[in-house]
Amino acid sequence: MVRSALNRMFGMLVVMALVVTIVFVIVRVTPGDPAAVMLGPDATAADIASLRQRLGLNASIPEQFVSYVWGIVRGDFGQSIFLGQPVTQALLQRAEPTFFLTVFSLSIATLIALPVGILSAYWRGSVFDQAATALAMLAASIPSFWLGLIFMQFFAVKLGWFDSSGYGGPGASFGERLHHLVLPAATLGLISSALITRFTRASMLDVLNDDYVRTARSKGMSEWRVVGRHAFKNALIPIMTVIGLTAALLVSGAIVTETVFGLPGIGNLIVSAVLRRDYPVIQGALLVVAGLYVLVNFAIDMLYLIIDPRVRY
Amino acid sequence: MKHFVLAMATSFVALCSANSLAFAQAAGGVIDVATIGEPPTLDPMASTADLVGIITQHIYETLYTFDADWGPTPLLAAALPTISADGLTYTIPLRTGIKFHDGSDMTSADVVASLDRWTRLASRGKQTSEIIASVEAPDDATVVITLKKPYAPLVALLSLNNSAAIVIPEENAAQDPLEAFIGTGPYMLKERMPDQYIQLARFDGYVPLEGEANGYGGARHQYLDEIRFVPVPDPNTRIEGAVSGQFAYADALPVEAFERISGGATEPVVLKPFGWPAFIFNTKEGLSSDIRIRKAVQAALAPEDMMLAAYGSEEFFSIDGAFYPEGNTWHTEKGTEPYKPLGDTEAAKALLAEAGYDGTPLRILTSRQYEFHYKMAQVAQAYLEAAGFKVQMDVVEWATLTTNRADPALWDVYISHSPFLSEPALMGVMNDTSPGWWVSDAKHAAVDAFNAEVDPAKRVALFADVQKVIYDEVPLFKVGNFNALAAQAPNLDGMVPAPWPYFWNAYLAAE
Repeated sequence: MVRSALNRMFGMLVVMALVVTIVFVIVRVTPGDPAAVMLGPDATAADIASLRQRLGLNASIPEQFVSYVWGIVRGDFGQSIFLGQPVTQALLQRAEPTFFLTVFSLSIATLIALPVGILSAYWRGSVFDQAATALAMLAASIPSFWLGLIFMQFFAVKLGWFDSSGYGGPGASFGERLHHLVLPAATLGLISSALITRFTRASMLDVLNDDYVRTARSKGMSEWRVVGRHAFKNALIPIMTVIGLTAALLVSGAIVTETVFGLPGIGNLIVSAVLRRDYPVIQGALLVVAGLYVLVNFAIDMLYLIIDPRVRY
Repeated sequence: MKHFVLAMATSFVALCSANSLAFAQAAGGVIDVATIGEPPTLDPMASTADLVGIITQHIYETLYTFDADWGPTPLLAAALPTISADGLTYTIPLRTGIKFHDGSDMTSADVVASLDRWTRLASRGKQTSEIIASVEAPDDATVVITLKKPYAPLVALLSLNNSAAIVIPEENAAQDPLEAFIGTGPYMLKERMPDQYIQLARFDGYVPLEGEANGYGGARHQYLDEIRFVPVPDPNTRIEGAVSGQFAYADALPVEAFERISGGATEPVVLKPFGWPAFIFNTKEGLSSDIRIRKAVQAALAPEDMMLAAYGSEEFFSIDGAFYPEGNTWHTEKGTEPYKPLGDTEAAKALLAEAGYDGTPLRILTSRQYEFHYKMAQVAQAYLEAAGFKVQMDVVEWATLTTNRADPALWDVYISHSPFLSEPALMGVMNDTSPGWWVSDAKHAAVDAFNAEVDPAKRVALFADVQKVIYDEVPLFKVGNFNALAAQAPNLDGMVPAPWPYFWNAYLAAE
């Protein structure tokens, strides 16, 4: 197991090195200029060139790359061009809403998806199964921005239960900040639940017809124990995979939802950084997101080893 | 004309009612203002972006600002400048007893250091630096600006709130980028959480001008305890936030939202006319460097259909070739004959034939950052193709557009828009280095005469000559006038519709 873990860790380092290089190159070859964005529409070419010089954007690409990599090695992602703060600080500020949004929406998604998926598989072909499958299809097809706006119109505008956007004003308590996450978490949770439901159903169908399930039943075990303890436990590996990937996706992929609800999270930071070409922030944020993906995958792989000792890498 | 007069009348009534009612209001309250996004900086010298000006005009002040008629009026200056007979020396008396947010007193030394910073760092300041010979402070309450040649737009430049000649403490003037956000404005920066809010709190040491409010000038009362500018990039979210009552004011809404924000929970604010969209020609190289091609485009385009596609309803636009609307000081129809609301396809075809057009695609550079730009471009494409042009639409996102438009090899036409600037000399087309790079003897003769003339009445006549040269040489095509839409809470009073909305003098009425 230790050898497997070391193999995976080496693979992680290779992936991260590739990510660092690819992100740096993509950001530099994309047209657009942070100096032009900062100076506004009436700035002259001479003003833009002057600001580029002051921001250090006129150094050669190899020089910038060496400086960037050396900074990463020292744990320094650089200084945001627009925010007036280090990238690390900007990322830490955005981590809280994104973390809680991820936890919140993943909880909603799994609380819906696991029971619905298990029961759909158990009652395969029933009205419940057909209805659940249809609803899962519907949830998977709804664009998150549309569902978000519908929730906003109903729960924020019509009922007045929530603010329509933001993460609380100055001095907002932790409870108030969480309150602002309810609508975006419900939006993401509902949409994410579709995929997990379908995976849970499919995975459960695979194991419910296996011999050991039949054996358990023939021993007179209750259906609750057969399904919950024997079948579900063995169906868990693909379900865990999809839950893990959904979590990683939510960290970075909540971009649309964070934008619609004006949440100052990682996704929102990436969008605004890309739009204004804040190179250090784009690089830092994408590196963190890629790192999270790699870590989540690593954690899932390690869990495989624990859940199913037959697995080898 | 009807719209402009109505808007002016509305503004005047609002202004009067604001002032008469305002004195009866108790101070207090906090408002959230939804803006189009996070400003790129809180240093208004460092950016020409409207968003920067809207927020920072509450923190910093300039020597002059604009009154309700868009004339310069004193703000930190005690009076309009005394200008020498040769137009080269501007003597500016300063108000005394003005305090910065750090408690220090403003003196002429701060003004001189700030103007020096402005001429070094600000886009508009750098342009002006070529004309300024010196800025001196003969005493603590006087500043003297000496010019190398007469330059009438100087006071208007000193009045603008973007790329602004703000006054900051002398010890901060060397900062680049600005790190201490200390001004003399009615509100001071309390906290900035990027992408969450910019929190401004009332500055208790503020000394307002006496008398009535007058546009951006006159008395600035601080009724609100706090103003929070909340970046909300998604326009639908701004709309729903206004309708739900979360935002007391939501800026820059799409005109399609008019019905949605007219339901009573929030009220529409229409600023008409707000500005004008334009097709800017690359006069430096490529297809549109040929004036005959530019004239063919001018003839081919049908502004009425373009504006209708962009704004949906005639409530939100008007067809007008003049660079300033009727009722404005600078309005003139001189030279606008080539502006045809429905275009003239046959004339365009003839001009193309005369130019010997060889089928090279006309490259239109635009983006969907402003949806009305894109919609106008689509209609323009149809009309241009009907006239015989081949058209290549280069639709990119805004940051790419701002980079590409600086390269004359990449485009023939790009689409932009502008508010009705108080001083015509600030129009981009007047500047030789502005993308488009329009340079000609006729332009220089007209613009130099306009900039050198100090007499306001004579300047109006000289601007008519400038407008005629623009129409004669077609460095740009003005499409029409458009209105801006915002939403305002019914209990937010004291507001006057303005292109850069401001919240001093605003107050929350008792429910």
